[in-house]
Amino acid sequence: MITVTINGKEIKLEKAVTVLEAARSAGIKIPTLCWHEQLEKYGGCRLCLVEVEKMPRLQTACTLMVADGMIIRTETDTIAEVRRGVLEFLLINHPLDCPYCDKAGECELQDLVEKYGLTKGRFREQKRKVPEALEDPVLVRNMERCIVCTRCVRMCEGVQGASAISVINRGGHSHIEPFSGGRFDCEYCGNCVSVCPVGAIMSRLHRHSYRPWQLGSETKTVCPYCGVGCTVVVQVRDDIIKRVVPKLGTVVNNGLLCSRGRFGYEFVGNKERLTTPLIRKNGLLEPSTWEEAIRLIASRLSEIKDKHGSNAIAGIASPRCTNEDNYVFQKFMRVAVGTNNIDSTARTGFAGAQGFIENIFGQGATGNIISGLANSDAVFVIGGDPTTINPILGLQIRACSRRGGNILTVGHMKGLRYYTPLELRPSVNTEIALLEGIVSALMKKKGPPGSHPVLEARLKDLNAQEADLPRICGIQGKDFSRFIDTLAEAATPSFVIGKDMIQSKGGSYGLFLVSAINYIVNGRIYLLSERANEQGLLDMGCAPDLFPGYRPITYPEFRKRYENAWKTGLPDKPGLTIFEMMEAAKAGALKCIYVMGENPVFNLPHTKDVEAGLKNLSFLVVQDIFLTETAKMADVVLPALSWAEKDGTFTNMERRIQLVKKAVHREGMEDWKILSEISSNMGVRMNYSDAEEIFGEICRVSPLHRDLNYEEIEKGDAIYPYKGEPLRGSTDEIHIEKSAGREERGKLYLRVERPLFHSGTLSRKAPALVNICPEAVARISPATAAALSLKDGDIVRASSKTGALELPVAVDEAIDDSAVMLSNNFQGKGAFSLMEYEIDPVTKAPCLDSNQIILEKVNR
Amino acid sequence: MFRETAIKEIEAIREQYPTARAALLPAIYVAQREFGWLSPEAYESVSSVLGVPRATVRGVATFYAMYKHRPMGRHLVQLCTNVSCMILGAEKLVDFLKNRYGLEAGGMSSDGRFSLVIMECIGACGTAPAMLVNNDFYENLTEKYIEEILEKYR
Repeated sequence: MITVTINGKEIKLEKAVTVLEAARSAGIKIPTLCWHEQLEKYGGCRLCLVEVEKMPRLQTACTLMVADGMIIRTETDTIAEVRRGVLEFLLINHPLDCPYCDKAGECELQDLVEKYGLTKGRFREQKRKVPEALEDPVLVRNMERCIVCTRCVRMCEGVQGASAISVINRGGHSHIEPFSGGRFDCEYCGNCVSVCPVGAIMSRLHRHSYRPWQLGSETKTVCPYCGVGCTVVVQVRDDIIKRVVPKLGTVVNNGLLCSRGRFGYEFVGNKERLTTPLIRKNGLLEPSTWEEAIRLIASRLSEIKDKHGSNAIAGIASPRCTNEDNYVFQKFMRVAVGTNNIDSTARTGFAGAQGFIENIFGQGATGNIISGLANSDAVFVIGGDPTTINPILGLQIRACSRRGGNILTVGHMKGLRYYTPLELRPSVNTEIALLEGIVSALMKKKGPPGSHPVLEARLKDLNAQEADLPRICGIQGKDFSRFIDTLAEAATPSFVIGKDMIQSKGGSYGLFLVSAINYIVNGRIYLLSERANEQGLLDMGCAPDLFPGYRPITYPEFRKRYENAWKTGLPDKPGLTIFEMMEAAKAGALKCIYVMGENPVFNLPHTKDVEAGLKNLSFLVVQDIFLTETAKMADVVLPALSWAEKDGTFTNMERRIQLVKKAVHREGMEDWKILSEISSNMGVRMNYSDAEEIFGEICRVSPLHRDLNYEEIEKGDAIYPYKGEPLRGSTDEIHIEKSAGREERGKLYLRVERPLFHSGTLSRKAPALVNICPEAVARISPATAAALSLKDGDIVRASSKTGALELPVAVDEAIDDSAVMLSNNFQGKGAFSLMEYEIDPVTKAPCLDSNQIILEKVNR
Repeated sequence: MFRETAIKEIEAIREQYPTARAALLPAIYVAQREFGWLSPEAYESVSSVLGVPRATVRGVATFYAMYKHRPMGRHLVQLCTNVSCMILGAEKLVDFLKNRYGLEAGGMSSDGRFSLVIMECIGACGTAPAMLVNNDFYENLTEKYIEEILEKYR
């Protein structure tokens, strides 16, 4: 126990901390500028100087560790004088342009000057002139205001790990610059903006459009983009979102955000938002009233149901909608329509992979705490770059490396390149052979753990020879040995699995092998999730074979329970998956699809086929916030409220249930409200007054959510199974389908790029993200570029069996020589339009890795 | 990007230091020699060989005034114009360099042969005026003598 006295107050401390931390713990404020709780100590600004008895000079409180018996004073006349002096120095070059600086009102320098009463500077020299840097689309740098506290540089380097900016020049000429001196060309996380104490680095999105004290409201909610579920604070004025900022101390992201979360909010106020229902009349979508649209949908659905049976209707739920929306959606489909034909784009990977892994290790096997990654001593990454798919999770992997953990990757992960990964880069379509090699080598080295006989039985026949790996996968023996040694020695390894792994041929076998590796070394699995409520959607039973809470519909006892809860009979046959729906639509067996907040025409592979399927329907309803590609084909389009305009809950990939709160007001109905109106018109009354009431029902019927309510969620840590037991244990049987894609050397294969700055088709409507990353490009390796005599920016025609696109190429060292990377975000330029797929019989996910592509230069 | 030999050289330098960052200063010298000055490409090349982020490389380099931060001629002429040299006519020599070679203080001759930097005393006051060309020292300068000297540097 250490006892110190600060300003006459005795403070007892468990362990040695800095004087600053000790003072803060006792509620004593010491002014700081360079110190920030997320950053390494720096001791540069000299504002936290304090008097310590028996020490000759003033000491910086942020770097001095407390010692037993220290007597410290933080506010004396001498200290005030010194601080005034420091501030006078800082203001020599500061422009004092507070009247039009956006930071005024929340500027730490301004507050300190106000506090220490500095009114006059003695310097008569000219102030340093540096023009404001406006080259960047989202960040503006004003280096006259900069006080060189280096918080931004330490954030960029030590926390975000992008190292995009640094201090340039020396002495009085020092300032902060990105590498180019103009555009940042970085990860655009904007965390430098968060930590800047003055107005030196700021967001351009809300430039000069309000003052901090004019904000009407602040709402703590959850980011709408990926499955990490970061807490964000939405700041609003006049029902317009002015700013989205993170909050220190929150469990998931603790004061950090990524580009999408911070700069991607503008879709909410986008002028292209749908405002009224649209009904197709004489081939054209025309505005109508809500009454007309709802009555039409109800009568058409009833008609189709009567004529063709309930199973001629299907529904596609949305991983962007809340749990409440999705719960009502599946209830509507099961009760009012009477079918289990409910699925979502989670079927493209997440759903099947999670089911597969839970089948082996038990329920919740993939729901591990994200911040725990930083404490692992090894992280094994496969199937996609986590720093772009789930950026905040990616930061935890970088933090793991900084703390001395080893990063092991199969394939090249650009975002982890400065974190000395041990990288195995197998040649095209030989991942499975490599994984078999890893399993065999680990079994030899560590032996079977003996706790999972079913899994071990499956491993018996496996005997891959290490000596074959160089020939088959092009992996060097010494790299492989190092990889295996590191993995075998790890005490707390983690496994991060991306979609590319699941969407490759033999995906279930690959997943099995990764699971086996995880089992042998006793690790934890993280399954990357691209959408905010992909997990919640599955929890809510938006799947053809499961009720809310993962109760299988084929079990009569479970069905009975839901029949009692919903007071109706329920269909007992599993419905169609989203891919089966498209097949059935093409074949004419399916007559109607109800789409809520999804864009299957763009977000499913083999776009042309999907389009043909949907065209073949006699009735298509789309409920969305924008007129998407799918909505353009619909017979009725219903405008929904966006994430910022409604209450509800999202469940993130750790299975943490978090509140989504209404931040801005907009006329219209929530998705669940629209559905219940239609349901009532079809004779099945649903009288929910608000989202909380729906959540109450969810907690009554879903065994995973038992005893949960909004108040409990608000307190945090609502990770399910909430006070309950997992429902599904590990199984007696593991189904796998062994197959692997064939390699044809010299051919190019199309791969889906999952970019940092975009997410589905939603981010297209966020101008800041479009400005950062404005167009689709085909990324190729330098070797491919050389072979085809292409250079950056050349326009190519990319053609596959299913279509062709014209787009520019970008040469990127991170790309494999056999791959062409293309994102699936930009209108008319989606990778999925060039892809065919086969369905993995076990995970039911599409295998997308055997799509050959040809690039030809287009001369203009 | 670097030639293979320069990569080898930097990798050898790297071996002598505990961290990649510590090897930056000598590695930047190699890049400067290879590219003639510290162009963006020079920074990126150092970054990719040492695995240090490029912004960090640039930040470190710009701290030091004696790296070549602008394109420079093949040979660096450093002429003193401090008191002794000035009294003995160094300023006329500055004019001469400008008229004869198009060399201005801080600038580069149009053929890319020379760059000129005006120095403050190189410790040759007894034999002023004096200058350095690259690492070679010359004293008792006259216009004719300078012409002869510079002839040696192509």
